[in-house]
Amino acid sequence: MTAETLVLATSAVLLALGASGVLMRRNPVSMLMSIELMLNAGNLVLVLAARARGAVDGQAAALIVLVLAAAEAVIGLGIALALFRTRENVDVDGPAEIHG
Amino acid sequence: MSLLLAWAWLFTLPGLLLTVLGVGRRPGAASLAGPALIAAVALGWLLGPRTPADVVLANWLPFLPNGAFHLRVDALSALMLAVVGVVSLCVYIYALAYMEEEPPSGQRRFFAFLDIFVASMAILVLAGNLALLLVGWTGVGLASFLLISFWHERPGAIGAGLQALAANAVGDAALLLAIVLLPAGCGDLLTLQTPTCVAVPGGAGLVATLLVIAASAKSAQGPLYFWLPSAMAGPTPVSALIHAATMVAAGVYLLVRTHALLAAAPTVALATAVIGVLTALGGGLASLQQSNFKRGLAYSTVSQLGYMFAGIGLGAPFAAMFHLVTHAAFKALLFLSAGLVIHARHGHEELAALGGLRRALPGAHLAFLIGSLALIGVPGLSGAFSKDAILEAAERANLLLGLALAGAVFLTGLYIGRLFFGVFYGPRPDESRVTSHESRVTSSSSPDPGLATRESRLDEPALILWPLVPLAIGAVLLGYLEWPSGLLSGLLGDTAGHAEPVRFISPLGAAAALLGLAGFALSARQSREPARERPGLPEAVEQVHATAGAASGWVGGVAEAGLGLAGRLAAVHTGQLGRYVLVSVLGIAVILLIGLRP
Repeated sequence: MTAETLVLATSAVLLALGASGVLMRRNPVSMLMSIELMLNAGNLVLVLAARARGAVDGQAAALIVLVLAAAEAVIGLGIALALFRTRENVDVDGPAEIHG
Repeated sequence: MSLLLAWAWLFTLPGLLLTVLGVGRRPGAASLAGPALIAAVALGWLLGPRTPADVVLANWLPFLPNGAFHLRVDALSALMLAVVGVVSLCVYIYALAYMEEEPPSGQRRFFAFLDIFVASMAILVLAGNLALLLVGWTGVGLASFLLISFWHERPGAIGAGLQALAANAVGDAALLLAIVLLPAGCGDLLTLQTPTCVAVPGGAGLVATLLVIAASAKSAQGPLYFWLPSAMAGPTPVSALIHAATMVAAGVYLLVRTHALLAAAPTVALATAVIGVLTALGGGLASLQQSNFKRGLAYSTVSQLGYMFAGIGLGAPFAAMFHLVTHAAFKALLFLSAGLVIHARHGHEELAALGGLRRALPGAHLAFLIGSLALIGVPGLSGAFSKDAILEAAERANLLLGLALAGAVFLTGLYIGRLFFGVFYGPRPDESRVTSHESRVTSSSSPDPGLATRESRLDEPALILWPLVPLAIGAVLLGYLEWPSGLLSGLLGDTAGHAEPVRFISPLGAAAALLGLAGFALSARQSREPARERPGLPEAVEQVHATAGAASGWVGGVAEAGLGLAGRLAAVHTGQLGRYVLVSVLGIAVILLIGLRP
């Protein structure tokens, strides 16, 4: 098993874990963490591809994804906090009642 | 001088800054510098050696076919800027007194919006290519929305602003399409008609159509007329400046600028002319139906812009530009004197609440009379020369359309006479009809000072009266710029196309003027009868819909089907986050499966 295969397999496992987490969890914080997992799975592949090509563009893209993930987490946590303040529980299906 | 004029749009910024910061004792007084400087520089350029200039900063928007920051100074832009500068200066001074009853923060907001408008309008006029034109184009649209909705707490003001925004969006989209459709390097307003630039699917016809759609949206032509009458919800100085004299003329300006492209697409030109003639007739008819003073004038603007469109479409861009200049003077005069009436009557705009004000407001009476006669085209006044130029060109190009335009002058006389006699002569208003909800002022100490002192003179503040003087002089004398010396056409040269010499009065023009005066006299007789409440055109259409039943006919059917489909599709939005995620993941999986298939 070469290093590349190992990294790709890790990435695939991380992505699957993240996807299943987003699908099955009902807690917004857990869902956000799962999304981070999926993003990092993508990052792994980006860095791997950059190394394989001998260029740094993939690594730069990975950095951008990290920043994006941080921004997304801030907004997501803000929403989760606002939800918790108003409803005392953080089930993501709770606010469905406000749909038109 | 040329460079100074090219950057003239920056002159409004100091005033804007000072006004926003609240410097100066009188809110908005600092803003006067902007239009005054623009008018001075533009007039100075026109009087000076008139050296054209181009300021080009290449690669400003590199993703567009021609994304240079291109300012162009020539006779056409200088003339248009002079019109914008002078009219805005008059309106600014007028607004200082007109808006006095607003709180200081409201006045500052008002003048800041006006400054944004003047700056955008100057960019629009000075733009040398489509990309920069679009910047000014959307800028004036935005300023128009902000000013229409200025009294946002009043019912209907936001809706009226949104209507303007929606109509303008159509025009902006058409303009944007034209920009991205052109081949690389094309977009200069003067070279749009060259074979390399119209080498697009659809050719010159498509590009010209897009520009005509954009111009129709801005100038309230054809089916896109609807926003202009609603725009009267804004303060009257705004109606005079933006929705009568300058911004709505931007569409005409664009088509005059690109008249060579229209000449290369004769079918589109003829369609433009037909739209213009129909709008001229329709606007006149609709004005007769209005129960609101300002809406009546708004439909008059729609109708006059129709004349300009007809002029351009029939191959006489110079006549259209000439009419634009004279129309700016007399229509601004009409609106500002209407504002004087509304101001003196404390915000009452309904015709039913106005009447018999000749002795109470002699200044407004005289100004409105001058404006009306110029609008009808009484020989010797400015409107006569420019309308005559359009009628003559129409007669040469297409006799049928020319006769229709001349006939529309009868409607002009009829509707402006109806407003004039209804407001200044006419019967006294039925006092029970004068309801206070239209009243703008908050002081309610006396029931209505306007009613109590109808026989005596009402207040005509000097700051409101004086701006009418230069406009009235313009409304009378602007025609002599062209007749008999041909000064204006010599000035514009070929920037506004070939210009036929203007005659004092042509046979068709004389017939039209007689028709107009006949209409004016006829409405004087009619105004002795009490005014009847008539619905406006959009309201009338709504009534027809209501009586016919919304479901009848294919229009109703389509609407019902759309609503039903929307209701069914709304069921997709369950609000269950988990389900959304599942659908997304499955969707990505399907895309991957299809994409990765060997």
